[in-house]
Amino acid sequence: MQGEVETKRAARRNAILIMLLISMVLMFLLSIALGSVNIKLADVISILLGKDSASDAHQSIISKIRLPRAIASMAGGVCLALSGLLLQIFFSNPIVEPYVLGISSGATMFVSIVFLGGYTFGFSATNPMFMFIGALVGSMIVMLAVVLAARKVQNIVTLLVIGMMTGYLCSSIRSIMSSFASLESLGSLTLWTMGSFAGFTWQKVKILAIITSIFAVLAFLLSKPLNAMLLGEGYAQSMGVGIRRFRIAVIIIASVLTAVLTAFAGPISFVGLATPHMLRMGLKTADNRVLVPACVLGGALTTNLCDLLARTLLAPVELPIGAITSLFGAPLVIYMLLRRDSGL
Amino acid sequence: MSNSRTVVQTKSLRVGYNKKSVVEVVDIEALRGEIVCLLGPNGAGKSTILRTLSSMLSPVEGTVYLDGENITSVPKGKLAKFMSVVLTDRLNPGLMTAFEIAAMGRHPYTGFFGKLKNEDKEIVLESLASVKALNLADRYFNELSDGEKQKVKIARALAQEPELIVLDEPTSHLDISHRIEVVEILSKLCRDKGITVIMALHDIDLALKGCQTVLLIKNGKIVAHGAPEKVIHQGVIQDLYDISEARYDDLLGSMEFGGSRTSDMFIVSGAGSGIPVFRTLRKTGLGMDCGILHQSDIDTHVAMSLCNKLVVESDFQRISDAKFKEATEIMANHSIVVDTGFPIGETNEKNTQLLLMALDAGKDVYTFRNKESQNLYQCLDKQPIYCSDASELAEMIRDGTGQKEPRIPTLVTAAS
Repeated sequence: MQGEVETKRAARRNAILIMLLISMVLMFLLSIALGSVNIKLADVISILLGKDSASDAHQSIISKIRLPRAIASMAGGVCLALSGLLLQIFFSNPIVEPYVLGISSGATMFVSIVFLGGYTFGFSATNPMFMFIGALVGSMIVMLAVVLAARKVQNIVTLLVIGMMTGYLCSSIRSIMSSFASLESLGSLTLWTMGSFAGFTWQKVKILAIITSIFAVLAFLLSKPLNAMLLGEGYAQSMGVGIRRFRIAVIIIASVLTAVLTAFAGPISFVGLATPHMLRMGLKTADNRVLVPACVLGGALTTNLCDLLARTLLAPVELPIGAITSLFGAPLVIYMLLRRDSGL
Repeated sequence: MSNSRTVVQTKSLRVGYNKKSVVEVVDIEALRGEIVCLLGPNGAGKSTILRTLSSMLSPVEGTVYLDGENITSVPKGKLAKFMSVVLTDRLNPGLMTAFEIAAMGRHPYTGFFGKLKNEDKEIVLESLASVKALNLADRYFNELSDGEKQKVKIARALAQEPELIVLDEPTSHLDISHRIEVVEILSKLCRDKGITVIMALHDIDLALKGCQTVLLIKNGKIVAHGAPEKVIHQGVIQDLYDISEARYDDLLGSMEFGGSRTSDMFIVSGAGSGIPVFRTLRKTGLGMDCGILHQSDIDTHVAMSLCNKLVVESDFQRISDAKFKEATEIMANHSIVVDTGFPIGETNEKNTQLLLMALDAGKDVYTFRNKESQNLYQCLDKQPIYCSDASELAEMIRDGTGQKEPRIPTLVTAAS
């Protein structure tokens, strides 16, 4: 009995994971093929494989625009989904993610400071490393503030409101600073604060991809204590989990993942919330040894899809990706709040 | 391993939060295979003690020794193999099956990714079996009832293969059958596997009957410590919980609400026949005096809570003239006398005299005796009022007590 049901569930899980992997690859190819200029899938594949292709123009579109953008949106999705998953376990709560808790806003504010400060003081503020470090400082500060707040208030709705308020606070500080900024720097800043994967340079893609890979692996290595944490801190501790070290590790991983994404693509809402949630429901498991890899696949898939929608839906107008993710994400949060006792 | 090995011992321990002690001088010693129970009112500090014993909280002062070793110097992994916990926290683990929850207990034994070996799986299934929850293995934890969840939580603690399990109120929210089951399971673990159990309980009755040692905690102090038979005397539990509206009978392990102060009738009872009458009358707001009972009669235990004046004779003695006189004097003030239909024997023969006297004196006598088979009143002209149960009696008295005139029982006597 025990074995049989378990085998069935495992088979189902594996099937879903394989389907996710295939969809992710297809989505990757599709997002490269589609756009203002449509390229045949066969051409896309042959260009990606480095074969000579018929059109130089296509090759250039792919290598300079679409490929970096596809990789960036996929890596960004991994960051969002994983940091969402980690925070949900950390706060024992399915309705949290970096954006909802205001962590993205903190990162955005600090990146703005670096960005505008750079224009004012004349150093190269668009240096990706500076932007990443700025975002990291910002997300860490908000993260620690929220962690402290969470120790005082147990109520999730209060925590969400605190996160939202932090978000407002950060964006108002950002607005105050923008009023001192020059018009030219403001334009690119505004687009970025709405979240977009447009205009990714290979340099940024490299940083994003490398940091994401490293920290995704670290998150996977935490699977066992993450599972123990599902029962709450008391039980985790009684089973030998070093709570202090674990907390620090989760805070660092989640902050870095949020920061690296936000630094380059701006704050993107709700992917971090919806992806782990949908995967949990689909895979019918809370086991993080399954969910961490699933979030890698699922996060990459959904974010790439949303990015594709953002740039093709009303083409040639490009929507901010946040518009798409919020459109799906916000109703989901309301739905989840309404049926919170459903045992999620 | 000797059977009397000390598993837990504390030395001049004070427990609390942020250096402020909540409970002073906690001296606990738990032997192998023993159940130690913490009893006390809400907020007395039971959970604080348990959290300190399970190393979730540092002691304010003093030391906890587990198996002779200072708890702070035991590495986390080793501690997790020695002790497991069942907490009051509501588990909300999402989509995890009962098996997966129980399998969490293998955490200290599994490798880096927590993969279960066959041996681990067997231990988990065995743990589920020993709490009779094997049938729940494949169900999602959130779908289980409170009682089933509690069993799975205990199975998880067992899968950790501990020598000591610390449980915080494992029976709260459970119905009576699950409460008994949980305590049964724990007793069995202690007996069969030599596991030591330390727990806080709210069920006084279960605690006293199910454990070897009790600690009574009140106002930040341990007020008593020892075997329940030695520690619990009449009044101890009542003091512990500051119960003023009711009386806890330690021998019966039951609670009675206080009775009404008024004395509306005199009741002659014995051998348990009075208990339903006392309780029913109290609920309708009627007060009563009672006599003549023997010291250890079960009626006496309840009458002490519910009756105002009570005439009690020593055990196995014939009712003395002095007691008889005392009872007649009390009865003289009443116009209603109730005969609960108690068995009559040599030692309580005088009670029948009391009833006949009452009837003769023109009082309303209500009786539960069967008119045909127990012809106690046949020798008299006047007849008592026959009733079938306590609630009927309460109804009849309520309707009749308003009348100032001595009531002539027409309803029933007319038939005879």
